[in-house]
Amino acid sequence: MAKGFLPCGTYHQDYAHDHAWWQTRFVKGKMIFLAIGLFLIIPHLDSYYVGIVNMIGYTILGALGVDLLIGFTGQITLGHAAFMAVGAYTSALMVLEFPWPKIFIHLGLAYPLSILCGAVLAGLWSVLFGLPSAKVKGFYLILTTMAAQFVTVDFIITQYVARIGGRGQAFSLPPGTIKIGPWIIDSPTKVYYLMIILVLLCIGMVANLLRSKPGRAWMAIRDNDIAAETLGINIIFYKLLSFFVAGFIAGIAGAFWISNLAAISPEHFPWSWSLWLVGVILIGGTGSIQGTIFGSMFMVLVMEALQIGILPLADIYPQLLEKFLFVKESTFGLAICAFLIFEPNGLSYRWWQIKNYFNLWPFSY
Amino acid sequence: MSQGNLFFMTLTTGLMVGGIYALVALGWVIIYKCSGVLNLAMGELTIIGAYVALTFYQMGVPFVLSIVLSLIIGLVLGILTERIFLDRLIGEPILTVIMVTVGLSFFLRGVVEFIWGTDTRVFTPAVFPLKPIKIGFLVIGSVYLWSFVTAIILLLILVGFFQYTRWGLAMQATADDEMAALSLGVSARFVYAAAWAIAFMAAGVGGSLLGNINGLNISVSYLGLLVLPAVVLGGLNSIPGAIVGGLAIGVLQNFAGAYLDQFFPGGVKQIFPFVFMVIFLLFKPYGLWGWERIERV
Repeated sequence: MAKGFLPCGTYHQDYAHDHAWWQTRFVKGKMIFLAIGLFLIIPHLDSYYVGIVNMIGYTILGALGVDLLIGFTGQITLGHAAFMAVGAYTSALMVLEFPWPKIFIHLGLAYPLSILCGAVLAGLWSVLFGLPSAKVKGFYLILTTMAAQFVTVDFIITQYVARIGGRGQAFSLPPGTIKIGPWIIDSPTKVYYLMIILVLLCIGMVANLLRSKPGRAWMAIRDNDIAAETLGINIIFYKLLSFFVAGFIAGIAGAFWISNLAAISPEHFPWSWSLWLVGVILIGGTGSIQGTIFGSMFMVLVMEALQIGILPLADIYPQLLEKFLFVKESTFGLAICAFLIFEPNGLSYRWWQIKNYFNLWPFSY
Repeated sequence: MSQGNLFFMTLTTGLMVGGIYALVALGWVIIYKCSGVLNLAMGELTIIGAYVALTFYQMGVPFVLSIVLSLIIGLVLGILTERIFLDRLIGEPILTVIMVTVGLSFFLRGVVEFIWGTDTRVFTPAVFPLKPIKIGFLVIGSVYLWSFVTAIILLLILVGFFQYTRWGLAMQATADDEMAALSLGVSARFVYAAAWAIAFMAAGVGGSLLGNINGLNISVSYLGLLVLPAVVLGGLNSIPGAIVGGLAIGVLQNFAGAYLDQFFPGGVKQIFPFVFMVIFLLFKPYGLWGWERIERV
């Protein structure tokens, strides 16, 4: 999607201005307000609301990689939860089992390093399952990414990795093990600070990649891969790079999420979670970073609203409460179908229209 | 049990289960051939049919009649699904159509779980006799044998429907060249609806049969995913391919369970078809009898 139109009377005079992130003073002002909101207001909310925001952040991190693959490179993936699981398990295993030197644990470096390792490993794992993309595309690639999900989560992790150290199915993370520097991550607010830093870093990384050579190559491959190849783009390299970056972000997401959980098990990364992430970017609008954010907010908030809305009904029909999960599934399915049928460009397109309306006002021609 | 005996037992069990897979795979291929929709909601179609059949059977309706009733409900649901969800999406990009079927599968799964819960249910009293049948040195559970026979009969009926009836020929014509078929007076909308109705019905019978073997719960919808390796093996738009692919995946799966399980303990039986599919895709992406697509700029 193209950038929004500039406000009336604003013209670019050089490339530096044209490529700037925040092109007008008004946008800079908005960003300052956003930063105040993110860093000063949200952390002081009730911990229930901070928990919801953390969920949104986790969804953004997961969906960002999916958006990179589907929205920008055109490689449809339905197995992204597998890479998140790889990141989460790598990080958890490193924190729990790796023979860290005392000084590392004392300085609180174990968890940050394990996030990095989890991300790299998830990226490489993603490249492994992206290899078939050199030969197949479309539906066939969907099948191989689905296979990635089943092989990784349902087989390797459930049967082997989850049993390391005789732990049975779930790894419990004792309090105090998740520690960055001097801070022990143990409350929603602290998880929130970690989340917001990771989300901003990942969005910055993806956004910068997208406006440099790899990003242009990815979009060329998405629009027409044969034409891209004739233009001299090494499509296999860039497809695999896209898989690596997507897996890397998924690994970060998984490794981050263990800080919010007391225990991780393969059930945290089911196939439906992969599908959920794809649904999130479709609702937000593919091929747009804002879309990822809007989609995540929409899905998490709608589900919360549904939960709140259904509570009064539970007095009349008590079974509704225990069957809430199923209502949620159905609603999500219907939401995807409705968006694809009635609003295929997603929420970010509406946002774009609103923004343009105000930018061009009063002379919208 | 001797080694050779194990081999033949595995082979027959695989073929019998494969018959059910072939039936569901045929439903999948019919949708793809006629309307070009790559359907990921096949698993939910199977459990809906199976639960409807089970409900009728529990109410005291004879098994055959309850299958017929579930076929009728499948027909109605299939037409409704096509009309409400997929009719508007003709000509949209592949991701859109696939994700609508994914949304559909979430929706249907939620509805099924809401109505019937998640506990495993069994057909009581047992539909097929529990005593195994002996053929020569082979011992086969009669559930497997009867399921296989039912699946084969239905497969024959469906293939006959396609080859010899007016509607079946209309569907084949649409699959072959939609524009030509339209100009000859075939109603494409009718064909799409019929394809979904047939897929719903075939999947429902497949699910009921599988529910007879292992008991019926939400995990029967795994059948809908197993269909994918089968159709990839046979080629996405080939009806004989779907049948052969279904049988082959059934056999492969049981061989993996019998022989590979000692090396990779755990769920190798569930995973092997997908591993096989990935490797197969690397070498022969269009399957055994699928159409090769040549791409130009």
